[in-house]
Amino acid sequence: MHLKYESTLREPLVDGVKDYHQVTEDIISPIEAKPGKLWYVGFFISLALLGFGAFSVFWQIYFGVGVWNLNKTIGWGWDITNFVWWVGIGHAGTLISAILLLFRQGWRTGVNRAAEAMTIFAVMCAGQFPIIHMGRVWMAFFILPYPNTRGPVWVNFNSPLLWDVFAISTYFTVSLLFWYSGLLPDFATIRDRAKTKLRKLLYGVASFGWTGSTKHWQRHEALSLVLAGLSTPLVLSVHTIVSFDFATSVIPGWHTTIFPPYFVAGAIFSGFAMVNTLLIITRKILNLEEYITVGHMEAMNKVIVLTGSVVGCAYLTELFMAWYGANPYEFDTFFKYRAAGPLGWSYWIMMTCNVISPQIFWFRKMRRSVAVTFFMSIIVNIGMWFERFVIICTSLYRDYLPSSWSYYRPSWPEVGFYMGTFGLFFTCYFLFAKYFPVIAVAEIKSILKTSGENFKEKMEVYEEQPDEKFAHDVAHAH
Amino acid sequence: MEQKKYWKGLEELHNTDAHQEIVKNEFSEELPFESEGLLNAKTPRRDFLKYLGFTTAAATIAASCETPIKKAIPYVNKPEEITPGVANYYASSYTIDGEYLPLLVKTREGRPIKIEGNTSSTITQGATTAKAQGAVLSLYDTARLRFPTIGGNETTWAELDKQVTAALGGAPVVVLSSTLLSPTTKKVIGEFLAKYPGSRHVVYDAVSYAGILGANEASYGKRVIPSYHFENAKTVVSLGADFLGTWLNPAEYAKQFSATRKINAKNPEMSKHFAFESIMSLTGANADERYTHKPSEAGAVALALLAAVGGSVTAPTLDPKVAEGIKKAAASLKANAGKALVVSGSNDVNVQIIVNAINNAIGANGTTIDLANPSNYRQGNDADMAKLVSDMNAGAIGTLIVYGANPAYDYVDAAKFTEGLKKVKTTISFNDRVDETTELCKFAAPDHHFLESWNDAEARTGYFSFVQPTISPLFKTRAAQDSFLTWTGNTTPWVDYLKAAWVAKLGGIEAWDKALQDGIVEPATAPAMGGASFSGNVADAAGKINSAKKGGKLELVLYEKVAIGNGRLANNPWLQEMPDPITRATWDNYACISNTLAKTFSTQLGDDYEIHTEKKVLKIKANGKEVVLPLLIVPGIHPEVIAIAVGYGRSEKTGKAAGGIGKNAYIFSSFNGTTVDYFAPEATVEATGANYPVALTQTHNSYEGRPIIKETTLEEFKQNPKEVNKDREELLKFGKDFRKDATLYGNFSYPGIKWGMSIDLNTCFGCGACTIACQAENNVSVVGKEEVAKAHEMHWIRIDRYFSGDENNPEVVFQPMLCQHCDNAPCENVCPVGATNHSSEGINQMAYNRCIGTRYCANNCPYKVRRLNWRDWNGADSFENNLYDVADMNDNLTRMVLNPDVVVRSRGVMEKCSFCVQRLQDAKLTAKKAGRPMKDGEAKTACQQACAADAIVFGNVNDKESAIYKIRNEEQTERMYYVLEETHTLPSINYLAKIRNKDAAPKAEKESAHKEEAHHA
Repeated sequence: MHLKYESTLREPLVDGVKDYHQVTEDIISPIEAKPGKLWYVGFFISLALLGFGAFSVFWQIYFGVGVWNLNKTIGWGWDITNFVWWVGIGHAGTLISAILLLFRQGWRTGVNRAAEAMTIFAVMCAGQFPIIHMGRVWMAFFILPYPNTRGPVWVNFNSPLLWDVFAISTYFTVSLLFWYSGLLPDFATIRDRAKTKLRKLLYGVASFGWTGSTKHWQRHEALSLVLAGLSTPLVLSVHTIVSFDFATSVIPGWHTTIFPPYFVAGAIFSGFAMVNTLLIITRKILNLEEYITVGHMEAMNKVIVLTGSVVGCAYLTELFMAWYGANPYEFDTFFKYRAAGPLGWSYWIMMTCNVISPQIFWFRKMRRSVAVTFFMSIIVNIGMWFERFVIICTSLYRDYLPSSWSYYRPSWPEVGFYMGTFGLFFTCYFLFAKYFPVIAVAEIKSILKTSGENFKEKMEVYEEQPDEKFAHDVAHAH
Repeated sequence: MEQKKYWKGLEELHNTDAHQEIVKNEFSEELPFESEGLLNAKTPRRDFLKYLGFTTAAATIAASCETPIKKAIPYVNKPEEITPGVANYYASSYTIDGEYLPLLVKTREGRPIKIEGNTSSTITQGATTAKAQGAVLSLYDTARLRFPTIGGNETTWAELDKQVTAALGGAPVVVLSSTLLSPTTKKVIGEFLAKYPGSRHVVYDAVSYAGILGANEASYGKRVIPSYHFENAKTVVSLGADFLGTWLNPAEYAKQFSATRKINAKNPEMSKHFAFESIMSLTGANADERYTHKPSEAGAVALALLAAVGGSVTAPTLDPKVAEGIKKAAASLKANAGKALVVSGSNDVNVQIIVNAINNAIGANGTTIDLANPSNYRQGNDADMAKLVSDMNAGAIGTLIVYGANPAYDYVDAAKFTEGLKKVKTTISFNDRVDETTELCKFAAPDHHFLESWNDAEARTGYFSFVQPTISPLFKTRAAQDSFLTWTGNTTPWVDYLKAAWVAKLGGIEAWDKALQDGIVEPATAPAMGGASFSGNVADAAGKINSAKKGGKLELVLYEKVAIGNGRLANNPWLQEMPDPITRATWDNYACISNTLAKTFSTQLGDDYEIHTEKKVLKIKANGKEVVLPLLIVPGIHPEVIAIAVGYGRSEKTGKAAGGIGKNAYIFSSFNGTTVDYFAPEATVEATGANYPVALTQTHNSYEGRPIIKETTLEEFKQNPKEVNKDREELLKFGKDFRKDATLYGNFSYPGIKWGMSIDLNTCFGCGACTIACQAENNVSVVGKEEVAKAHEMHWIRIDRYFSGDENNPEVVFQPMLCQHCDNAPCENVCPVGATNHSSEGINQMAYNRCIGTRYCANNCPYKVRRLNWRDWNGADSFENNLYDVADMNDNLTRMVLNPDVVVRSRGVMEKCSFCVQRLQDAKLTAKKAGRPMKDGEAKTACQQACAADAIVFGNVNDKESAIYKIRNEEQTERMYYVLEETHTLPSINYLAKIRNKDAAPKAEKESAHKEEAHHA
């Protein structure tokens, strides 16, 4: 057996003196205990938000989309902005669980469970918008290509909205499977530790009869790889397809070929920021600072500064193309009504939050500051929300015919609906944090002996040895 | 060599039974997935699926909603002339307030649903206005009086007649009516009045034209309104007369004027139109040269013009720009002597005398002004009315019968009238609703709506048209003439009276039947036009004008809106919601001010002004009265003028649509001793600090130089006809045929019919008749002010109005915008459910049932013509109590106006112009039944038919004989363009570039001159 050696120069991924049992204790015991006060406060606030959102949606469905402030010129506003924003957030989870798995990035183990949960919940929130925004939501099933007796009437495969239906539903299904299959061993652990009958029953059902046999592990690993393989293209394709909603249109500001990579980069950008927001809260409340370390946050901040800069490049490219393309309508959209004009403020919020402020992450000190990271994670998501708002609204409000130019402010049911999705998201997240292991116990254990602090300390002995001895010991160590 | 055998364990060495078992079954290890038992469970998988399926199906059936039962009752005996599904047309006439429009009324199953112009009339030639188009809705107005009342309580006609006849007599009886065009009605009134000595008939117009009448009396000895012939004029000078929008009979004049504005590309010629005005009127917006002055200077402008055309008066000093304009106008008038016309909107006798003098000097009499065959459009006499009011106050009037007039609302001194009314013993109103005057009258004897009535009309001496019922009276109303006849003691019903009079006149019952069928009786050959010798006292008039009160710092002027007019049809939701052609505002009146003046109230045109519906509220004082109204910035209004539309501020009882909307501006009118002045030379304005939302359908005024509008000047067009469409040459880079060559995709060839439309920007005056015609034809919903303010209005055709150039005197262009029926439609390929798609005839169609309302199509429409049903406007969804109806449009009565050929759309569904597909199908079927190909002109869209200026041409572009084919391929190739053609949307609607007859050096010349200069330098 080879020694699982990792250079001591690399920061440990699990701090403190940990053995396998201690890991289980640290992560599983909060599930077995009563939640704290903070949990209840947060959960009920979330439920209240969810309730208000449900009321807003009821109001809109009952009285019509007219209760929103969308109009003849601006057919999409907060609804689709929120849709794209939530979908984008979801992308980080998939990227962490799939692509980082394939790239064998050990640090993902600390954050992947929560990030994947975030993906699921974010996609659940996102999916509300394209459905509820319909004028006749009770006819929403028309978008499904199902056999029917009406001719048959078929869906329009040319429409990017239809592609969205497939993209989002596939994405949700695959993400859910991935997340759940990862949960099986941990559920089994909870089941095995359970002291109450109900817990034993429920987690027993949830763990699908996991026994921890080698066969289970082997199949589990294989499934993880297959799902990672399936998810990897989804990271790129889902937001590409979302971007097609705009890119395939004729509206200046939407009709742009740069959208797919730009959207994907933006999605990862906002998703990582959201992961940071959630984990900083989670580690604090559940005392998991030893598992979700500053090193984890730093890694994510690096991704943020990278993707933020990619997005910045995209913004500048758009501006360049608007000038270079010599299309007067596009030029006006970008230079007169997006970067300036009555909605110009939204553009500059976007620029500040997405491009300028993340540059502070070039400094290590900033990357490793919990406070700065938390603050920036919020700023980035504000910026990314405004990016979608800018794309949608500043393109629509002043397009080809000036006679139809208009302005847009949301009405209370639009804001309420958005708040409602926050309610949904956090309700789900609080339940998740209470009942599910927020860190993948099994996966942490798999890296514990290489990257755990107390194990790494033992490596120093080897590193002090001469090279030949080191090589020999590493090869033959037990 | 012996193969050595290594053993892996003692089991193998000893080959135990257990080991043998393992070897036999290599993968024997039981996977910890206890599968047995699953199939033996109480509910095996298959049963489970069965149960699931059954319960789902059962739940679905159980949950299915019960559909409410609606009963349709068939005819027991089918009326001979009614075939369900087939429309009948009846000739009728719109004669409200003296406006004259012979009509054809379309009825379906006995209900009038649409009004068209009667093309047989040589006066209007089928022209209509928005008001006439909307009149059909007024028939079904829920606020109409449904029965006679005494003191506000319902009564019977017998009881009312009894009490009225008892009350009549003794003191003089006065019939106070608005202008009546009907000679027979006047005869009936005459007979009635003859019975009561000392009685008289006072004619009163809400918006008076007594100035013209008086001036013509003074100048020609005839108190008449001449017949104007704009079609003969090469130069038209309008001194504040909005003859395309509201002046006298605008549809007639628009028709005439449009004939001089059509461009024959081979020999481009058009009339030249000068406008001198205080506000930005529809007519001024269509002028080639426009100048602004203060309303108090109207006389001075007329005098200056008279001086400039050679009259013996001294020109007063005017603003240099205006003086320059007068010089130009005079030169043009003189150059086109005998083919020129000056009209004035002033209601001042002296100003009109000067105008008569000008017309006399330029040879208009007998050429463009026909005094031999005068018009009867307005007959009101302000002096008579003033005398009546003082008589009433003196208690000298015994009975006042109000017939179609509403002085308690619109009279110059309404308070005095109201006061006087109290002193009249018997007051009777024939008005159709409890309006401001009727409310004060003891007896209400409501007249029929004109679509329920018999009547005749004499628009011009010898030119008659008829009114016949298109539906049985909806309510217990009675024709006013019947009331008069009854009270005269004549037992002949009015219909027999009218018939007898006409049978006698025409010489037989057959001639009468034919007259009703045609709707008109006109002289076989047009009688010769004639002038009259001018005998006006110019010096006296000039003296009075010069001594008139000079204006103060700010002046106030009242005007009529194209849709609302004098306020008579104010309770018409279609008209209330029709955007004003200039301001694009709906559902309100407001103080129109210039940007310059607005700046003094810290607001001005710009983004901030555009994006806020809330406008600053001003307090306007003049003539000792004041109103509080929001301001609206109107480019082109004189900077020292405030303009307010009349017709608003109606009482709540006039109806849900009109009641409480806007403020009454008639209070600012004043009586100058002879006539009523609709301006106040001294006004003050102050900010109130409050804000008030105004619902505009268009907030941005400029077309930003985009090639969506193409315009040029006549001179330029003559010299270089290709210049205006120069940018289309860029498209040739893709190949000869932009349609085919600029795409990677295939091209559909449209065998058979391919519908197309052409809109001439040169003759679209922006009046909005098409908008209302479309609304009536296609059951377009009314949404109300708040929703218009949210840009939720539903109009399928809108008229975009753009300003360009000088903010204080801009050029204006109107562009009707409707679904372009793109052959490569951006809306079609983005709809996820295929609810919008293309027909083989080139129509972009909507399958409402399929639409789920994602709005992607509307977003992707470059023309922004798609309209979502944001709310439940029609009660067409299954949600209870969510109807959004601010104007009683869903009353069972109002719904009778709906066109049964067009479905109403439910909430959440997208809709837009359908090219009136129901009419196209009808035309095709008619041709098919007749076994012949459809002829050009048989299929007409509602907008096309309504247009007084024939700006819209529609037809089959595959038919080489069709007008639309000829316009596109032969006649107007230089001016023809498509909006946003470069996006390759391939619209089915083309536009013809606007040509202005301006005094501007052609671009080509300017450019070469410029080059030369550069060369020399």
